[in-house]
This record gives sequence, structure tokens and C-alpha cells, in this order.
Amino acid sequence: MFDLLILGMNEIFQLHILLIIFVGVVVGILAGLIPGFTVAMAIVLTLPLTFGMDPVTGVAAMIGVFVGGMSGGLISATLLGIPGTPSSIATTFDAYPMAKKGEASKALSIGIWASFLSSIISLLLLVTIAPQIARFALMFGPWEMFALIVLSLTIIASVTGESILKGLIAGLFGLLIATVGADPIAGVSRFTFDLGILRAGIPFLVVLIGMFAISRLLVFLERTEMAKDKEEKQKDELKDMKVVLKPLQTLRMVLRKPGTLTGSSIIGSVVGAIPGAGGSIANIIAYDQAKKWSKDPKKFGTGCEEGVVASEAGNNSTVGGDLIPTVALGIPGSAVTAVLLSALMIHGITPGPLLVTSEPNIVGGIFFAFFVASFWMLIAQFAGMKLFVKVTNVPVHLLVPIIFVLCVVGTFVLNNRVSDLYILLMMGLIGYLFTKYKFALAPAIIGVILGPLAEVNLRRAFMTNPDWTLFFTRPISITFLILAVLSIAFTVWQTKRSGKRMAGAA
Amino acid sequence: MGEIIVLLLLIIFSGLIFMQGDEFAHLNESQLGPGTFPQLIAVLLAVLSLVLLIRKIIDMKRAAGTGASAGEQFRAFIHEYKLVIIMFAMLTVYIVLIDVIGFVVMTLLFVIAAGLLIGPKKRKNIVILVCVSVVLTFSTYLFFQNVLYVRFPSGILL
Repeated sequence: MFDLLILGMNEIFQLHILLIIFVGVVVGILAGLIPGFTVAMAIVLTLPLTFGMDPVTGVAAMIGVFVGGMSGGLISATLLGIPGTPSSIATTFDAYPMAKKGEASKALSIGIWASFLSSIISLLLLVTIAPQIARFALMFGPWEMFALIVLSLTIIASVTGESILKGLIAGLFGLLIATVGADPIAGVSRFTFDLGILRAGIPFLVVLIGMFAISRLLVFLERTEMAKDKEEKQKDELKDMKVVLKPLQTLRMVLRKPGTLTGSSIIGSVVGAIPGAGGSIANIIAYDQAKKWSKDPKKFGTGCEEGVVASEAGNNSTVGGDLIPTVALGIPGSAVTAVLLSALMIHGITPGPLLVTSEPNIVGGIFFAFFVASFWMLIAQFAGMKLFVKVTNVPVHLLVPIIFVLCVVGTFVLNNRVSDLYILLMMGLIGYLFTKYKFALAPAIIGVILGPLAEVNLRRAFMTNPDWTLFFTRPISITFLILAVLSIAFTVWQTKRSGKRMAGAA
Repeated sequence: MGEIIVLLLLIIFSGLIFMQGDEFAHLNESQLGPGTFPQLIAVLLAVLSLVLLIRKIIDMKRAAGTGASAGEQFRAFIHEYKLVIIMFAMLTVYIVLIDVIGFVVMTLLFVIAAGLLIGPKKRKNIVILVCVSVVLTFSTYLFFQNVLYVRFPSGILL
């Protein structure tokens, strides 16, 4: 079980890789703490920089960004009372009141420890569970893979966004976008509408940069958003406060709440492993559960330690959970791990159930990089807190143009094609409209990355055996399909129920 | 209103894909051809979009009669989205001209112009923007050119 970890240790324990992970962690923390800039954005923009590296180093850098980003939201959540990323919304509930009481440093250090310890717990879960799932998945034929993809997409559609209908529409749109370009089996050029730009297809990463980065920046420029940002920046009475972190004292405080810590970490890992559900959902669920199980639920929201522990443990442990399906099945749980997978593909490594056996050094490297990144995160947060706090002051009008340029550079560097830049513009616009009308972006993105995989498996299934009923007679395949139908039915039922309750209340 | 347009576009898009899907040569009868999977997805997308479209139209009929006049709505729209529209236009110009004029010059100009569009137009700010723009442009240019051997479009200038 731990042989993969040891193999990874050999891969990662080189000075330059350790250094690169550290830089990744710092970049991630910065992306996490600046309100309006997300971890997904940071990881997409780091990708072009990793092209020159070997696969293990590149993936390690990105894991650094991922881990750092999950913990970076803590800083702005505590000091400004605004979540730096969507995954630290619940952190503001208790960390901000605590900071207002003059205990900002306590809130920060508790949060850092909770992030670190929960990362380690989720790493243990990842290392034990992922290889087992991968071994099980080796039994899958094309029927099962196709059914599994259908299941993941329906789950993503039901957990994200305003309604499942919109989620499914976004997911299907992603699947369709992915069919543009050469057909994966026969190589026929499809749906280019005789446009030269589209002949090479629509690259996944360009869709990602457009939908996640460009569209997010455009949202930022709306009048109400700008006003909100200004208002938030003005309440910086806390920023000048002296931050004196006491690592050892607060470690004891966190360790005295083992139930909250492990409970929230497990919730985080499970939520992270569900496709589409990530830090933002785990953060709130973990907080909510900690409150329900607490002996004294009333003190939640007034600045209590458990609240900070639960919410920060909840979001950081999603990293390990998210990596489980990514490593074991080749199915990314979020936009961030989708980038990770596409980075592997750029280096010619095919993700999937075979990854653990065929590329154990990569898988081990991912595991161990996660471990190292958690340590760096701890050190960087404790040592660099004073600097990080200052970064929340960087004005928007400097950041927005810089990020725009980085998006353009990143897109161009992927394939050295100017035509990709036009696709980037298009995708930015589509992503903006999607966000504007509350179509979730995650299903679309996961649709784009899983689309070719779904098609290849579907067609392979028919090539092996033209009998379509096999999808419903093979036991694992039918189980996945039934679960997919159930996940839709459950969400529809849930929305109906909450709709009725709202009507009853009104 | 915008939502309805988005849904209509989605339906048109799936229609296009569906019609194009028939044009590819099938290799043989037993397998699915290159057009089948996209056609399947296109049908699903069209059906779901249509369902949502009908729902939205019903909602709109119900809510009809409220709200401001068209002129006022338009003014409010412009007020809210002015920066978004201008910035998107600037980005488009930047991308189109990268190939014509060159990466370095266009990036220098874009950062300064975009910064001035969003931020205050004071002298101190302009100085900061120029510095940021120079550092950003040359550091990305030199890094990618020399470390990753990427050739940026040089256009007629650079």
C-alpha cells in the first residue's frame, strides 16, 4: 500500500522539484486569498509554465498550487470576512467574528493547522483507496466505462448550479464541443463548418482558460461587482493589526478537537471524490455537520474554534478526495484535476485505471507531492503570513490586465497557434453568458474532457459486440446507469420538495 | 430575455450538429459512424434546451407587465455592463492585432490601456501601469522565448 508513496518519494526528493512545489504552493495561496481569483484559474495559468518540465515535476507543481489555493482563502476569510475563493465561504462564519474579537492570529493559525492535518488525513485515504478502486476498475469493459462517464456527468450536473436541467444542458454542450475536430476513431474531420480555426478541434485547455479565467474576469468588471469589491477593500481595519502566530499553542487547540477534525476531513474527502462537488460544497457541509454534532451548537457563528477547524478541514481534505477518481479512474472530480489530467496527456501519459500499474512513479509522485505540498503550505502560511496579508491590497486595475495577458500567453503557448486565441475569445464569451444565466461551468468543462472518452468507449462497445442491450445486462454497467437515473430523480425530487417548502413559508 | 436567446442559440447549434452528422462516410454497418455520437448528444441537448425554453417563456408570460420601460432598461444595462463590453472589445482588438503588429508592442499597449480603463486616471497610476506592463511583457516574452523556445507572433513591429 505504501510502496507507491515510497516510489513517489524517490521521484520527488530532488532539490529542484521540492523548490518548484514550494513556488506552486505560494502561487496557490496568493490565488486563493485574492478575492475573485480562483484556484482553477491559477492552475490553468501554471500549466504552460510546466511544459518544459518532466511529467512528475509538472504535476507536482500543479498539486502545490492546488493545496496552497485551498488554504489561501482562509486569510481573506479571516481578515476581511470575505471568502477569497468559493471554498472558504463557511470559514468566514467563525474566523471573521474571531478576528473581530481581536484574535485574528488565533483564527489564522487554527485554520492553518486544520488545513494541514486534514490534508494529511485525506492523503492517507487517497493512498489506501485509490489503488483498490483502480484494481476494481481494471475489470471494466467499454460498456462500464461509458456507463461510468454517464454517471459522473449526471452527478456533476446535479450537484452544481441552479437546476439539474441547466447542469445537464451545460454538460451536453461540453460533450458537443469536444466532438469538433478529428473524430477519435476514424480520424474524419467533423463540424469544422469549413472554418480553418476549427480544423484542429477545440483544445480542452483553451475552453478551460476561456470559461474559467476570461469569463470570471469579465464578471469582475460588472458595475455592481466593482462596487462590492471597493466596499470590501475599505473595511480593512483588521489588516494593519499585528499578526503574531503561535504555531505550537494552536496546534494543541486543534488536536484537542479530534472528532471535529477527522469528521470534517472525512466529509471533505468523500465530497471531493464526488465528481463536480469540491471545496465549496465540502466547506459548508463540514461546518454544518460539526454544528449539528456539537454539544453547544449556539456558539457556532460567534467565533468558536470548532467552526474554524471544521470549515478549513472540510475544504483542504477535498484535495485528496478529488485525486481519488482522477488517479484511479481517469475521471476528474473538478476543473482543477481536469487540468492535472490534461497535463499528463500532454506528456503522452493516458490517465485511466491502468495508470497505477503502468506509471506507478507518476502516481506515487502525485501522492508524495501532495504530502510535500501540505508541509510547504504549513511553513509558507506561518512564515509568510505578513506578506500575504499585504497582497489583499493589490488593486484590481493592475491584476485584471495582467491576468488577461497571462491567459492569452497561456493559450498561445499550448499549441503555438494564433487561431486558438480566437477560440479563447469565443469560449470566454460563452463562459460569461453561461455564468450570467446560471449554467454551471463545471459540467461543461468535465463534458469537454470526458467527451472523447465517452465516444471512444461507446463505439468500442459496438465494435466488440453490436448488441446494445449489453449496457443493461452487464451488472456493473447497469448499476452505474441506474445510479445515474437515481441521481437525476433524487435532485428533481429534492428541488420539488424545497420549492414546496418555500411556497409554504411564503 | 437573454436566457431565452442563449437557449435558442443552443437549439440552433444542436440542429447544425445534427444535420452535419449525416454527411460523414460510414465505414461499415456494424459500427457507429463518426456522426452518431454527436447526433445523439445533439438530440438530447435540443430536447432539454427546449424544455427549459418553454418553462422560461411560461414564467415570462406570468411575470409580464412589470418592470421599467425599454429605454430605461437599456440605460441600466449599459451602466452595469459598460466595462465588460469595452474590455471584451479591447481584448478582441488585442488578439487580432497580435498577429499583425506583434506580441511585445500589443501587450505593452493592452496592459496600459486596460489598466487605465478600470483604474483611476492619475499620473501616479500611469507610472505604475507602465512599469507593470514593461516588466510583465518582457518577462513573459523572454521566459517563453528562451526557456521554452516559444516563438511569439512578431508581426510588423515585434
